[in-house]
Amino acid sequence: MRWSKTGAGLAVVALCCALGVSAAAPEQQLTVYTAQTSYSLPVVDHGGKPYIFVTDLLLPLGTSRPTAKEKDWRISVNKTDLRLTAGKDKGTINKQAVDLGGKALLENGRFMVPMDAVLPLLGRLLNTTVDFHQTARRVFVGDTFTRFTVGFKNGDQPALILTFSQPVRASRSHQEKRGVLTHPDTTTLTFTKDPVVSELKTQQYGDGAIQSLSFSEENGTAFVTVSGNKPLQLVQSDDGRTITLQPQAPDVSATPIPTQPGGPSAEGQKRAPEFFVMIDPSHGGNDKGATFGGKLVEKDITLRLAREVRRELEERGIPARLLRESDTDLGLDRRAEITNEQHASVYVALHAGRPGKGVRVYAPLLSDAQQQQTGRFLPWEAAQSGAMSRSQNLARVVSEELKKKGLTVASMAVVLRPLNNITTPAIAVELAPDENDLQSPDNQKRQANVATAIASAIVQVRNQIGARQ
Amino acid sequence: MIPRHFQITIALVLLAILVSGIIIIRMTHKEEALTLQAAEAAPAAPMVGGKQEHIQLLLAYDEDQALRWRSADVFLPADRNLRARETLRSVLAQYLQMPSPHPLAKGADIKDVYFISDDTMIVDTTAQFADGHPSGILLEELTLTSLIETLTANVPGIARVKFLVDGKERETLAGHADLMSFYQTAAVHKLAKEFE
Repeated sequence: MRWSKTGAGLAVVALCCALGVSAAAPEQQLTVYTAQTSYSLPVVDHGGKPYIFVTDLLLPLGTSRPTAKEKDWRISVNKTDLRLTAGKDKGTINKQAVDLGGKALLENGRFMVPMDAVLPLLGRLLNTTVDFHQTARRVFVGDTFTRFTVGFKNGDQPALILTFSQPVRASRSHQEKRGVLTHPDTTTLTFTKDPVVSELKTQQYGDGAIQSLSFSEENGTAFVTVSGNKPLQLVQSDDGRTITLQPQAPDVSATPIPTQPGGPSAEGQKRAPEFFVMIDPSHGGNDKGATFGGKLVEKDITLRLAREVRRELEERGIPARLLRESDTDLGLDRRAEITNEQHASVYVALHAGRPGKGVRVYAPLLSDAQQQQTGRFLPWEAAQSGAMSRSQNLARVVSEELKKKGLTVASMAVVLRPLNNITTPAIAVELAPDENDLQSPDNQKRQANVATAIASAIVQVRNQIGARQ
Repeated sequence: MIPRHFQITIALVLLAILVSGIIIIRMTHKEEALTLQAAEAAPAAPMVGGKQEHIQLLLAYDEDQALRWRSADVFLPADRNLRARETLRSVLAQYLQMPSPHPLAKGADIKDVYFISDDTMIVDTTAQFADGHPSGILLEELTLTSLIETLTANVPGIARVKFLVDGKERETLAGHADLMSFYQTAAVHKLAKEFE
């Protein structure tokens, strides 16, 4: 009896130790930064060599669904075919060999390649420059870097001012990975979602409250560490581009980081979200959408219209982003994911289709049961439930503005992807071009009127939507 | 002794019989192959019996961008699955005739329907139904709304419908209308009212 109790005790201790060790060991990850998004994927050890799953790497970039036949595997990115064969250390991209740096492996129906293959795969599939910080496991696609300069203010109230080339903000789903860890003499800013880079390694500032700043990167993450002899408080500007570190007042030193009026909160530097519109030029790449007059395709019409809508919005002081800037494939789920991840204030999908010559405005359609979905976690197909009434309101205002421009407008609610997967007010606008006269000035004017009407409508609903967010 | 000219005649007759036989056998095989090919090309579906019924179909009219109820006489079996399939086929038959109010590609058909619960039905369409469907939000929504609303009007008790294409899931019908989700017939009924 005594032995069994002792044994049980030892087992519990061993289990606790094991759990402690496993919790302490951070998961190995690789982070990819692109102009549209950034994402992390796990890195697994195989025979002492780091490997990644190919689908983890490529699916977020808007690829086609992979097809597999026994040991052969195929996926398409931007009209470029990648083929891999399990057990071989070379794949093909558009029938040209590509060295993977080790054997491709098939594990539980999923293909793995050595981590070193990231550079040739992404570079050739995306046809762009790729910078791979191999030891830090950070991959930068195109010119996606966020750089920063450091300004040091000496005196009674010393301050360190970091100015970033792009806004740096926390992703809601990864707040635990980016935040501020403060010890009496060290403050560390952690960036996983932002492509922060720097030539700077260490900078010394004397022996006062702020003594040094260092930049490092590892395991798919960048760190800015500031050392001193006092705890530091942090203030971030509203545009997210400037972070100021300065010594805390003595009476608030007990709290890790005080919340500043108008500045970030202690947890993850939560700021009032910036109002911006996500414009989705539907289709792209292999997905041409509808064809008009045998030549003009929907994907080109939507991209042109999207650029016009963005210009109209920016003229009215409203920031806008496009989900695609060029002729690229982007899956429907991925469009919704990017919109949700970036916390867009409004989502507008643009389409062009038959029949008729007017414009159709679509709001999302959910069943009564789906609309009643509440709580923190919603089913993917009912993610829109919390924003339905605001989407309907947006559709109504856009329709009214289009009518003011003398356009024939139909408005209705439909089950259309990815509207129902988006958590913010979302609508789709379908332009019905006159097929007999596609390039006529009248058609061009109608398109310009549609862009103006959408922008005017968004201005009208901005305050209402912004206030509720 | 058989005269030489008689031998030659007999030989020629035998040769003619042989050649004719070969030609007849080859013609028979060709005919069989054509019959088999035609049978394989046709949708694999059991013969439909049942009695003729006067049913209502909700049909799409592209020019008017609207849905309208039309009546039709259709043979509908008593079996719920077969009844659902024949109801859907009668809608597609309207779209495949010339001139069509809402043209669909040749070969657009319903391969099979089956219930996965009392109120949830899966509709499996042919590949031509989706591959050849005209692309556009309105055109695709009209097709699906027309099919679902006609189905629920003639086969009671269906609350949810999902479409497959050639036995597999597909993201959209032709780039727009969602085929991944289960359509809630109550929500589709609201949409149909907007189109009517």
